[in-house]
Amino acid sequence: MLAQGIKYCLLFAAVFVAGCNGAIGGSGERAINDGVAKSLCVVDTPIRRLTRFEYNRTVRDLLGDTSNPADVLPPEEEVAGFNNQAAALTSSDLLIEQYMKVAEDVGARAVLDMVALLPDCDPGLEGDDACALSFIRDFGGRAFRRPLSQAEIDRLKAVFDWAVNDPDLGRFEDGIQVVIEAALQSPSFLYRPELGGEIPVEGDVVPFTSWEMATKLSYMLWNTMPDAALFAAAEADALQTKEQIAAQATRMLDDDKARDLIRNFHTQWLLLTHLDSVTKDTSVYPAFNGSLRPLWTEEIQAFVEHVILEGDGSLQTLLTADFSFMNEALASFYGDDVLDSVTGSEFRQVQLDSNRRAGFLTSAGLMATHANVNQSSPVFRGKFVREQLMCNTLPPPPNDLVIEPPELDPSKTTKEQFEEIGANPACAGCHTLMNPIGFIFEHYDGVGQWRDQQNGKAIDAIGEVVQTDDIDGDYDGAIELASALAGSTQVQECVSSQWFRFAYNRTVTQEDSCSLEQLNDVFRSSNFNVRALLVALTQTNAFLYRRAVELEGDAGGAQ
Amino acid sequence: MKRMKRRAMLKGTLFGGTVAIGLPMLDAMMPRTTAAQTGAAPKRIVFWFTANGTRQDIWSPPANMDLSGHPLHAAMAPFSNKLIFLDGVDQDVAYDSIGDGHQTGMACVLTNAEILTGTLFCEGNCDAGNEQYVGWGGGQSVDQYIADEIAKDVVTKFKSLELGVQVKSSSVWSRMSYSAPDQPVPPREDPNQNFTDFFSEIESDPFALKLIQRRRKSILDAVMEDHAAFQNRLGYEDKQKLDKHLQSIRDLESRLAVTTNFGEACSSPELSLPGGSFAQNDMYPATGKAQMDMLVMALACDLTRVASLQWSRSVSGVRFNWVPQLYDEGHHGLSHYDDSDESAKADLLEINKWYSEQFAYLLGLMDGIQEGDNTMLDNTVVVWVNELGQGNSHTRRDIPFILAGGCQGYFNTGQHVDFGGEPHGKLLVSLTHAMGKPVSTFGVPQYSQGPLSGLSA
Repeated sequence: MLAQGIKYCLLFAAVFVAGCNGAIGGSGERAINDGVAKSLCVVDTPIRRLTRFEYNRTVRDLLGDTSNPADVLPPEEEVAGFNNQAAALTSSDLLIEQYMKVAEDVGARAVLDMVALLPDCDPGLEGDDACALSFIRDFGGRAFRRPLSQAEIDRLKAVFDWAVNDPDLGRFEDGIQVVIEAALQSPSFLYRPELGGEIPVEGDVVPFTSWEMATKLSYMLWNTMPDAALFAAAEADALQTKEQIAAQATRMLDDDKARDLIRNFHTQWLLLTHLDSVTKDTSVYPAFNGSLRPLWTEEIQAFVEHVILEGDGSLQTLLTADFSFMNEALASFYGDDVLDSVTGSEFRQVQLDSNRRAGFLTSAGLMATHANVNQSSPVFRGKFVREQLMCNTLPPPPNDLVIEPPELDPSKTTKEQFEEIGANPACAGCHTLMNPIGFIFEHYDGVGQWRDQQNGKAIDAIGEVVQTDDIDGDYDGAIELASALAGSTQVQECVSSQWFRFAYNRTVTQEDSCSLEQLNDVFRSSNFNVRALLVALTQTNAFLYRRAVELEGDAGGAQ
Repeated sequence: MKRMKRRAMLKGTLFGGTVAIGLPMLDAMMPRTTAAQTGAAPKRIVFWFTANGTRQDIWSPPANMDLSGHPLHAAMAPFSNKLIFLDGVDQDVAYDSIGDGHQTGMACVLTNAEILTGTLFCEGNCDAGNEQYVGWGGGQSVDQYIADEIAKDVVTKFKSLELGVQVKSSSVWSRMSYSAPDQPVPPREDPNQNFTDFFSEIESDPFALKLIQRRRKSILDAVMEDHAAFQNRLGYEDKQKLDKHLQSIRDLESRLAVTTNFGEACSSPELSLPGGSFAQNDMYPATGKAQMDMLVMALACDLTRVASLQWSRSVSGVRFNWVPQLYDEGHHGLSHYDDSDESAKADLLEINKWYSEQFAYLLGLMDGIQEGDNTMLDNTVVVWVNELGQGNSHTRRDIPFILAGGCQGYFNTGQHVDFGGEPHGKLLVSLTHAMGKPVSTFGVPQYSQGPLSGLSA
């Protein structure tokens, strides 16, 4: 069957070699003819539907409901590496049906504590109508993240009136409950429209209203609704200048809610959900058991959260730090690599052997995820570095290719086996991009534990990195590579583009070039501080402006 | 299969507690469907998806259709005279379409339409401008087409029911149903939630139920008014998105008052629900069983006429730990070994045999429900689809299609037909004919010129 394998590899090479040699390009999804918008790097801002993650946090902050009720909704569409991409989030009958049921559940729980819902109004003293209206204005305004129009107040009041007049309902609480349910199903709650203000700054480029800006900031930096301070700033129309916005962003990053942002981003960027389903052949890896999975994940999350929000915030530290966060069980899994002694189930900062571990990249969780069940995988690890850290796109395996991972050969190291495959010139087109990077991680076995030997032979962790912008060359081991990655412009710009996609809920288009450049400038001048990058994301024209909404009938564009 | 008792209690375990729901209340409600009023059993269609191809080398049944010794299908032996095995039916359209093998197999199998160009999906993560991008499926799927057509005749509680077992993600790799081009339909994956959504109303007395319906209607009316005002401010593309949302609300509202039940078959086997762990790999069999039980119950109660059960998704990585001799590797990984790898082949045999056993379980449930002179299975056609023929080559030729049930005599069951390379679009056309909603072509006309010959009685 070897002949067959080679035949397929040839096909693979012939069809996709161009894809593997090509650079990553950028091309607009649609032409923007307006020179003004283009020169200012301003595009349309699509309407955004709350993700389940955002819905859960929003009802937590709106009603104190911590039950994560949106977990029952259908999962988001995953596009460009993230699940919050506005263009991809579709609606379906099931989603709408579940919105109704989730709203019913949330509403029913909320009215169990009427005092919390209406702290300032006693229906017994002030009358049902007065309290209902006060609730509608206050709760409705927070749910819609802006003051309600009179028509909206009237509509919600009409629902309240319907309930209190229904012979089978009739209580004040019933009225409040249906108001909550109606609000939670309203598009003004479920979507984030950012339509812009009335007065263009140039051409058809408009800034956002302060209410819209409060919402933009809070969902970008907290993944939830604005807090009281943001609402107050919006009320005072004090979210208009770049300075005002940067000051809010800086404040927000000091708030605990920013942890949600950091965790959500890294869950997706570093593919941490894949850790949940990692499995290993325990005859090869007796140290593995399922209870390690959440510990591996928590290690990475606690580390990135600490570095970005409490530490020096630098990309360098994320990639090369000689410390991490562990509890006793995890530290014992790492063995000698952990220099401190750790007891108990609480995670704490630990010092690592800097000859063996560097930042998140060599964490056991990532190493184990990007490995096979019974051996490491240079291919998977190389692919991870290429795609997630260098923003390369590797072509998918072609149609009708027989993909055949090598069987374990006890006389060889994994590297030796994969070198044989990579040596096949037909397969090399793509695999020279992945395998050698993977070889550099060969000191980490299939569960991410350090090894000096495999099958009685010394580990050779030398690999040649090729076809990069700025870090081509031989590297011996992941410590060297991590340091090179941290200094690579390609990696630095990849990180900022990942944040761009996640934060702006859309892919990068040609029209974003000046905004991206601005982000990269700030990132560089801050010595690649992720916090600085996050604040900078609030300062680009791509964030601060949009093109005015073209209403149907305004121009020929709509049909 | 034991005959189920009329007025059985609907039992299940929800999050560790036992629930029991009395069904007789159904009689007190006013059924609205014609079928319920006349007592005639409706036709139904059920799609059943498993991933990553099969063992093509051993898939075909013997000439005499005796499955009892068959390495894959022995469990289906009791139903062999109600089955049709289709050999030589290819997903031709998948070879014209952009997208990788799994993407095209998945998005084309029920649509017979090419995947849309788009900027949504590629392998791994992408930056703008890469030509490896594809969009969603490019046509309405046949289940949704049939559901729309049936909805013109009769309003059931659900226009269609899409159930999934650990599908988990939402992408072009994981969606086979489309309400329209570019509009994937997500499956319902949580059996606990499904139990509530399908059957909780049965618990209520008619007056309480009326109140729930009245309440929902009042709220949805207000929400719809809100939508109208909201949409006035939006640009074209945003408006499209919200239009679809609003249409779903209208549809939801129109179905609120529907409380159908179909005759005496509306009862239930005992349910064992997996609670909060339904998404964990090891709960795959339990989750699947709960979904099958509820699917059959939903059909028996005429909650819908069109349903699907999607096991995982294309590129399924489910680990079949519960099959004793199975190596602890995911399905997709196993499906990629060379044909000469006997160990992997043995494992794939076990996986596909296990799916055949599940299929037999579903058929057994359906065949155990008497509806007049026929069983529910006789009144239904269950269609087993797969995005691939075989995993290691990603071939979308010779897809292992199986039909079960005659759809009230439309299909000539109990046979094995080798079509020698007919496009699968013709099978989709056959299904529309079977369900009494015939079309001449479905999806790409080139690959769907009329129904397959030799299938119908």
